Amino acid sequence: MANVQARAVAAPQSFVREKILLGMGLREYVRSCCTKGNAIAAAILIVGVPILIYRFIAGLGATTALSQTAPWGIWIGFDMMTGIALAAGGFTIGSAVQIFGLEDYHPIERPAILTAFLGYVMAVVGLLADLGRPWNIVMALFNYGTASALFEVAWCVMCYTTVLLLEFTVPAFEWLGWKKLHAVMRKALIGLTVLSVMFSTMHQSALGSLFLLAPTKLHPLWYTPFIFVFFFISAIIAGISMVIVESMLSHRVFHSQVAGQHVDVDKLTLGLGKAGALVMFAYFFLKLQGVIDGHAWGYLATGYGAWFLVETVGFVLVPAFLYAYGSRNANVKLVRAAGVMGVLGIILNRLNVSVIAFNWNQPVRYVPSASEVIVSITLVTIGVLLFRWIVNRMPILREDPRFAETHH
Amino acid sequence: MSIGRRGFIKIAAVTAGAAGAASVSAASPHAEGTDGPSVLVDTTLCVGCRACEAACAEKNELPLPPESDDVMQERRDTAPQVFTVVNRAEKEDGTVRFAKKQCMHCLAPGCASACPVRAMNKTPEGPVVYDPAKCMGCRYCMIACPFDVPKYEYDSWKPRVRKCGFCADRQAKGLKPACTEVCPSGALTFGTRSKMLELAKTRIYTNPGKYVQHVYGEHEAGGTSWLYITDIDLEKLALRTDVPEKDIPSLVSGALSAPPFVMTLWPPLLMGLYAFSRRRDSAKGEGTEHGKEDHHG
Amino acid sequence: MAHDFLSIYPAKLLEYGLAIAYLLMFIPFWRYVQGGKAKEVAVRVAEPRAAARAAVRAPRPTAGWFQLPAGVHLHPGHTWARLENDGLVSVGIDDFAHKLVGPARVELPALGELVAQGEPALAMGDEDRTVPLLSPVDGTVVAVNAGARDGKNGIEDPYGAGWLFKVKAPRLAANLRQLLTDGPARHFVEDAGERLALRMSPEIAHVLQDGGAPIHGIAHALAGDDWEQLAREHFLT
Repeated sequence: MANVQARAVAAPQSFVREKILLGMGLREYVRSCCTKGNAIAAAILIVGVPILIYRFIAGLGATTALSQTAPWGIWIGFDMMTGIALAAGGFTIGSAVQIFGLEDYHPIERPAILTAFLGYVMAVVGLLADLGRPWNIVMALFNYGTASALFEVAWCVMCYTTVLLLEFTVPAFEWLGWKKLHAVMRKALIGLTVLSVMFSTMHQSALGSLFLLAPTKLHPLWYTPFIFVFFFISAIIAGISMVIVESMLSHRVFHSQVAGQHVDVDKLTLGLGKAGALVMFAYFFLKLQGVIDGHAWGYLATGYGAWFLVETVGFVLVPAFLYAYGSRNANVKLVRAAGVMGVLGIILNRLNVSVIAFNWNQPVRYVPSASEVIVSITLVTIGVLLFRWIVNRMPILREDPRFAETHH
Repeated sequence: MSIGRRGFIKIAAVTAGAAGAASVSAASPHAEGTDGPSVLVDTTLCVGCRACEAACAEKNELPLPPESDDVMQERRDTAPQVFTVVNRAEKEDGTVRFAKKQCMHCLAPGCASACPVRAMNKTPEGPVVYDPAKCMGCRYCMIACPFDVPKYEYDSWKPRVRKCGFCADRQAKGLKPACTEVCPSGALTFGTRSKMLELAKTRIYTNPGKYVQHVYGEHEAGGTSWLYITDIDLEKLALRTDVPEKDIPSLVSGALSAPPFVMTLWPPLLMGLYAFSRRRDSAKGEGTEHGKEDHHG
Repeated sequence: MAHDFLSIYPAKLLEYGLAIAYLLMFIPFWRYVQGGKAKEVAVRVAEPRAAARAAVRAPRPTAGWFQLPAGVHLHPGHTWARLENDGLVSVGIDDFAHKLVGPARVELPALGELVAQGEPALAMGDEDRTVPLLSPVDGTVVAVNAGARDGKNGIEDPYGAGWLFKVKAPRLAANLRQLLTDGPARHFVEDAGERLALRMSPEIAHVLQDGGAPIHGIAHALAGDDWEQLAREHFLT
């Protein structure tokens, strides 16, 4: 025993101790994990994970409020659709840095790609929870239902998650110190970014195309043949807003990592706010055009019409103006508030299309069960925990000095 | 199930008429695959005996439907173990009408186009059939169907989508679907679609004022295999009347034609932007360096 | 959802009308968003007059020949940084640098420019040659003393009204650890003065004519045309 301890002290730290346990001993590490936040997360997991397991044993009927008229619930509407929309920061910032050459945004590029990667992973987990026969998901690899928008979603999500994984290997290999592989992946980054924009365009819009085949089921204010364009543009908005919110939280939570850097997050936030203002402004008018094109302006005077205006005026136009005012007057707090509103607006839009305005003309409406809500919260919690685990160990918010980039 | 002499004469007459009509209709064009098997449901002839429900349950090895006709007091829908139901409604003058609800076997089915793994598949012979071995349970077919036909076995740990299969295996052997075989009142007539359409229109035009001037299923969802003629609003008989005339797959095909264009156009577009921004940055970089040199004197 | 043919006309009217209205609104909106000139100026810049006045009132501690007030953090390249009341950090050159180069034009970084501790950020000189100086802190330039930059006579009062630019410094604590204050700063400036004295021994009478303290433009006096080289030696550039 004494020998082992002596070795542990004298010899360089083992891989597990250095990389996984953050340089601490096991007992030390466990003790460092006993925080209030972790207690809340643990409580969520202790309740949620068993419910998730139960769902796979007992079936969907036992754990969800899905019905014959409402086959899709919040696991599709929120975990999959909203999760994928909010993970759009990966391709927006990735393309801004790699393709448009806006090197200023490099410091927030890696956290955005990590958010996207984890977002997609958790969206896939949510999808597997929702599928009635999840083991048959591999069928999509061999049976080509190419007339289906869902086929396009499945394949593009599969390909894009692979691209994100490959992009993520760049900081991961830095963490592991695998220099040769890292160099290879680093060179591939521009190609991967082009692919990421291509796949994102396709599946973000395809998620909207999913609803093209239900004109009698989706409320006319939301149903338009252009819904796939709307979903793509709102994905860009989601990406910008989510990156603003995520960088605000990261730089506060992981302050120790970012403290010693040149990064002026405020300036980047203002820049993103400018872009957000312009895109949201255009998107608001796009939505109105969609209503007019469908001859549906009469519905604006109804209850759903009011709800539509809440979504478009309250959560698109208002944050657009807040972005504009905030970025023009260097008011970072206002831009961040607008970012939060933007994120909420996207969540609201996706939920409206999939659950709230869907089946609007049915007598009995879908209301998620408690289990569904708990599982959704659990999946988000797992995503956040993974994010934190990775950021604490890998060079996401800070640079690894061995791989320091030479910026011009 | 003996047809009886009357039934025999009826069928003989119809066949003869069809044979005569066939020579006429051979000239009229039909899109490929659209003259498949079809059933004409004449709701004015249905007596609500529900023999079709029983025959269907027997053929598909489902639990037999309840004997009592009291079940028709409420509006019923198909279910995971019930592929067809008969619903009842009353006209203003008190006459009772019945209608059978089942999968419409659309010519261009939304469910088959929606299925990403082709578990729901339109066969060339006509019926839209389901293969649970391929199904991953996404339930997108249920979203797609404008008639709300497919039902799901939510209570199973390996759930299947459930709906009428048009007795595809019986048809392959040259038999009629079980429900049409047993219908005693002639409400269900099985034949090719063109013939059923002719029959439907003939009945409508030769009985002016009796029927609503509409063949339900002729154009709904781009045309279905099951056609209905009626003298009552079909909504009362639990059939959806808000179905668009455009077939469901065509609503999506426009958006679905975009991906190949994106895959072709995006790479050169993005790489072009990349090259442009690199050139601009390097020019700017040189400029700044010159500036810096000036500073140093 | 079928709609009758005739509703196409009002629909098209609304569509094109909305599109035109949107285009008309987009132009001012774009300009509004892109506007907000020199955003950093909107950040309230408190004049360091209060600090400067306090420095003047307090007995000016000297470091041999050169002034060095309290509260100033000195960089070995003879620039200084001071944390002001508004949270910004003012930057300037010290008395040594001021006297070494003499009355000079000063070139300052632009607003919004990033400066790094130990990297060249500003320059002083005359018409044909300039000498760069290093920034004492990392950060973003949020204000520039236009008077110092544009004035003909260079800087007066290098620690007060002669402040050169202000910086938002995100890692001030780390930067300050690299800088000198109080005792160590005074020693440093004294050493610099001694090094100068070693160079000027023959001319010492000439320089000390006004009572011992060197006058402006020592570098010119000592090294003539090579003044730039001498200055760079001291400014570490």
